[in-house]
Amino acid sequence: MNENISREKAPGGAPATIKKKYRPQQQKSAYLFILPSMLILTVFVFVPLFASFIISLLDMNIFMQDVSFAGFKNFARVFQDDRVRGATWNTFYFAILEVPLQIGIALLLSIYVAKNNRYTRALRSIYYLPFVCSMTAVGIVWSMLLDPNLGILPYLLRCIGIESISFLKDPDLAMPTVIVVSAWKGFGYTLTLITAAVLNVPSSLYEAAEMDGANTWQKFTHITIPGIWPTVSFCIVTTTISALQMFDQAYVMTQGGPLNRTETLVQYIYDRGFQTAPYDLGYASAISVYLFAIIAIITFVLRKFILERGE
Amino acid sequence: MRGWKKTLRRLPGFLLTFCIIIIVLAPFLWLFVSSFKTDSDVISYPPRFFPTEWTFAQYKYVASSIPIFSMTKTTVIFAGGVTILSVLFDSMAGYAFARMNFKGSGLLFSIILLTMMVPFQIIMTPLYIEVYKLKLLDTYLGLILPRATSAFGIYMMKSFFQGLPKSIEESGRIDGMSEFRIFRSLMLPLCKPALASLAIFHFMNNWNDLLYPLMLTSSSSMRTLSAGLAVLVGNKVIKYGPTLAAAMISLAPLLILYIFCQKYFVEGIATEGVKE
Repeated sequence: MNENISREKAPGGAPATIKKKYRPQQQKSAYLFILPSMLILTVFVFVPLFASFIISLLDMNIFMQDVSFAGFKNFARVFQDDRVRGATWNTFYFAILEVPLQIGIALLLSIYVAKNNRYTRALRSIYYLPFVCSMTAVGIVWSMLLDPNLGILPYLLRCIGIESISFLKDPDLAMPTVIVVSAWKGFGYTLTLITAAVLNVPSSLYEAAEMDGANTWQKFTHITIPGIWPTVSFCIVTTTISALQMFDQAYVMTQGGPLNRTETLVQYIYDRGFQTAPYDLGYASAISVYLFAIIAIITFVLRKFILERGE
Repeated sequence: MRGWKKTLRRLPGFLLTFCIIIIVLAPFLWLFVSSFKTDSDVISYPPRFFPTEWTFAQYKYVASSIPIFSMTKTTVIFAGGVTILSVLFDSMAGYAFARMNFKGSGLLFSIILLTMMVPFQIIMTPLYIEVYKLKLLDTYLGLILPRATSAFGIYMMKSFFQGLPKSIEESGRIDGMSEFRIFRSLMLPLCKPALASLAIFHFMNNWNDLLYPLMLTSSSSMRTLSAGLAVLVGNKVIKYGPTLAAAMISLAPLLILYIFCQKYFVEGIATEGVKE
């Protein structure tokens, strides 16, 4: 019916004029439709984004009295601060190991569960379970399971002769432990994305390979991997970005310790600005601008080398 | 003979998937049963997986010693409020960008996409100052308002609306409906699955969020469950047993929601995957 009407009108005056006649009214409503979102994004994203660069140039604490211009003093401090250096190292340490671990587990599992039947669907929905949970609860559970005195895992290790490992209190083991728990929480998410991609690879390709006598592994490396590469690279980029912003895990499980060995940049920003006197917001902002630069550069590099290579 | 060989070849895959099922489920099972342990069971050595005696003592302790009810209330109001407002505003904006012609729509949309790339901690400090200056610190409104729309939601709804046939709103216009009525009564009912996925996405993220509510609230009764628990555990003011019960309380609503609306949990994520 609608088509009829537009067709009837078409010969009389070109449809373009009809469209234009609607326009002023429609434009006004369109602006009203986007108004709430634009207002909120302006006030709570754009303004803070610009403000953050300005605050990083100020001497300013959380009480917001005696604000003065500091120039690049805060940035000079960023580059001399040992804790910034340590936190940068920890942040990279976490990202460089956590991202491949999480994506590796998901890829390996996808060989077995990226199929569309009831059994694999059930497996996948269980693997996704930890991703639904808050890092707070996950962190609490794992800290207790790993507790050197009461935890079940150190006890089981003791039973097979490995003495008193305190996973989260040993400076050398704390970060690897946090990494494994993070991968435990996140691999189901990556697996879900990868499974969707695997199921999209045309099955005719597999049939052709089977006729040529390819085995499971050959099919995986020669058909699946190239077919899902865009999704894998998307996962690499997004997981890396969120790994560089790691906060929850360390805040709940280690509070940045032992000896600041799990303190990440976001945690240090939070600590400097909101947790420890003198609540130096200017300096906290300078560190966050520094982190923003790191994330921007890494995102750029990853996109250049991973996304483009896939094409 | 061949069938036997086939079974053998499937064995590694079966073992691997099975082991990981155990690794994933065991901590949940342990948390669930341990929240019903007595104090002495919780700290017994050697540690026991299952309680010797089932009790609600830990839950009772939690209810009487930490503001768990007001924390749950805050979490529900915060996550629920954000979800309702954000789904509404995201779908309105997504609709306008997908189905209406207006000046500057391309530019405005790319600006919105850019905000997806701004990490939260860069805007964290100024956001705190803003909310403080608006006198909204430690209030529900202060928690909800900054999250009441999201670039991802706008993007997701725009992609969804673009897939609907053009004839729908034309029929509405011929009937003389206002633009908002066309959106409300013709278009929205068609995208219930997308709205559900987006709602779950917002609800889960905000229910679980830590840094954001931690920063914008200060009184213990205004803390969300995840932020409040993290603070209690960090300050070591809460014993092992009650911590487990409280963690169980904070997880239960999402887990139940996951069991019943699994499809929508995964679909929001799947959209995210095609963002590139």
